[in-house]
Amino acid sequence: MSSVWLPCGVYHETYEQDQGWWQTNFIKFKMILLLAVVFIGIPLFAPEYWIGVATMVGYTAMGALGVQLLIGYTGLITLGHAAFIAVGAYTSTLLVLQFPWPSWMVEAGLAYPTSIVVAAIVAGLWSVLFGLPSAKVKGFYLILTTMAAQFITVDFILTQYISKIGGRGQAFSLPPGTIKFGPIVVDTEREIYYLMAVFVTLMVIVLANLLRSRVGRAWVAIRDNDIAAETLGINVVWYKLLAFFVAGVMGGVAGAFWVSNTAALSPEHFPWFWSLWLVGVILIGGVGSIHGAIFGSVFMVIIMELLQLAVLPLADYYPKLLIDFAFLKESAFGLAICAFLIYEPNGLAYRWWQIKNYFNLWPFSY
Amino acid sequence: MELFLMTLVTGIMVGGIYALVALGWVLIYKCSGVLNLAMGELTLIGAYVTLTFYEMGMPFIAAVACTMVVGVILGYLTERIFLDKLIGEPILAVIMVTVGLSFFFRGMISFIWGTDTRVFEPPVFALKPITIGFIQVSPVYLWSFILSIVLLIIFVAFFKYTRWGLAMQATADDETAALSLGISARFVYSAAWAIAFISAGVGGALLGNINGINISIGYLGLLVLPAVVLGGLNSVPGAIVGGIIIGILQNLSGTYLDAYFPGGVKEIMPFAFMTVFLLFKPYGLWGWERIERV
Repeated sequence: MSSVWLPCGVYHETYEQDQGWWQTNFIKFKMILLLAVVFIGIPLFAPEYWIGVATMVGYTAMGALGVQLLIGYTGLITLGHAAFIAVGAYTSTLLVLQFPWPSWMVEAGLAYPTSIVVAAIVAGLWSVLFGLPSAKVKGFYLILTTMAAQFITVDFILTQYISKIGGRGQAFSLPPGTIKFGPIVVDTEREIYYLMAVFVTLMVIVLANLLRSRVGRAWVAIRDNDIAAETLGINVVWYKLLAFFVAGVMGGVAGAFWVSNTAALSPEHFPWFWSLWLVGVILIGGVGSIHGAIFGSVFMVIIMELLQLAVLPLADYYPKLLIDFAFLKESAFGLAICAFLIYEPNGLAYRWWQIKNYFNLWPFSY
Repeated sequence: MELFLMTLVTGIMVGGIYALVALGWVLIYKCSGVLNLAMGELTLIGAYVTLTFYEMGMPFIAAVACTMVVGVILGYLTERIFLDKLIGEPILAVIMVTVGLSFFFRGMISFIWGTDTRVFEPPVFALKPITIGFIQVSPVYLWSFILSIVLLIIFVAFFKYTRWGLAMQATADDETAALSLGISARFVYSAAWAIAFISAGVGGALLGNINGINISIGYLGLLVLPAVVLGGLNSVPGAIVGGIIIGILQNLSGTYLDAYFPGGVKEIMPFAFMTVFLLFKPYGLWGWERIERV
């Protein structure tokens, strides 16, 4: 049963049709319009500042998609996803800075793309390592092992060992021009934005396709009832680890992308706060839907930007406000999570679904 | 050998504080099934409130007593405003509400008290170490340990012998049966949160005496989570033993492993140990093994 509302008189006759990407021409038109806005509209017409904000939305969405896969589709609650993003970011940076690349690869701009692939795989394997306890433990015990992943990876290994490679002190910085994608040097907001848009689009396509395949159905079965899934012949441990791997890969790509955005890297970019923030994003967006991860990222990042813009004019009169704003932002985020969980537990994606249904049935709502 | 014993004793004493905070955590979980991730912030609130009262000129014990009163009020309000509406919701929702609460509390704490490290001025405990036998212990640790143990005994006695404590035990055991006996579940939940705020608050005040108060007290409060997991989520003796184990582990690794690592072992060790431990005993030492059916 597909989740799409079809116009009166349109029926699906085969399973392929039912699972299809473009079920009606309207949906096809809508998605092409969306792609056009993302790839042409925003970079052409939005001011530089808002393109930066959009990049931030994309980065949040990349992390949130991995969390969504683990929490929303496989039922493995993770509070340590920032660790895997960090592993991706550090692998990519170290490869670009330290690896003896052959000169033709650097000139052809292949160093950074290759490092992204390696970063994704390393982050995925690291994620599997910390997913291993999920074979035995469940629920809150599993939550704590993912928390342990965060503290061990970021606060210990990255801060104490990896950051000291090359003797640069706490932060790595990438010299301008090192982030090259083929012949293009990624250094303006617009180029970073395009990189982000391509990655997010690819990730959504990959995740959506995985979810409508055998693998995705196995994940959902494990989420709904893992014992029942096991009796159906699903190899629970294997699929749980696969979920950790895919989520880790997504985190790794997000981290490797983040490097191009900041051109500097330190463990403070990946605090525990960021792991919790990603979980908060999918809760506000809606657990168990890809829309949810995207909506949540858009909502949270843009709300925070608007708050910041609202505060800036006041800062002339009350300078302490700028410092305190970070704390108020944290508090507001906390209250927002609580309010969403109490009053709108299905998140923004559910609200979106309701609005769509309203217009699908309009004007006869029966 | 002497070094080992001293580390061990200090570990047990810090562990006593963790045990106190862990007890508060386990109570909430047993009575209302809420897995509370805001425990670090509760300890922070306790530490700062005690400091505020202390700076107003109260003696330390009176400041701690006032903190307990504030803790009861805050605990009641937290339960009534946020957690009450989530009874029976899925585990993720409940956990994330406590995460939301932890953001809210942390933001508010930094907003009200700032982020600089503050110390109790004048110092509450004497700085000169006390010698017991051939072991030297700093008075802060000794008095903190004694205060934690006294509070632990009071809490356990409260559970075993008072009417309210028995009501809480009954609710933890079987909520429906307790309701049919006329026990108010809402009262029990509020009481559990109030006790958690008290125990975390006192724990925070004591920890604040050791190294001064800043946001890292919240991290120490977070160490309660490995403690309760080691002991098993729903076991009161488990929480106490787990807290003491974490204290010992932290101090031993700080003394003996710091030479081999560049630093930070002390903070990481409890979590690393817990992860490995869970691979062998997935329900902790005395946690209930849930038998699951389809």
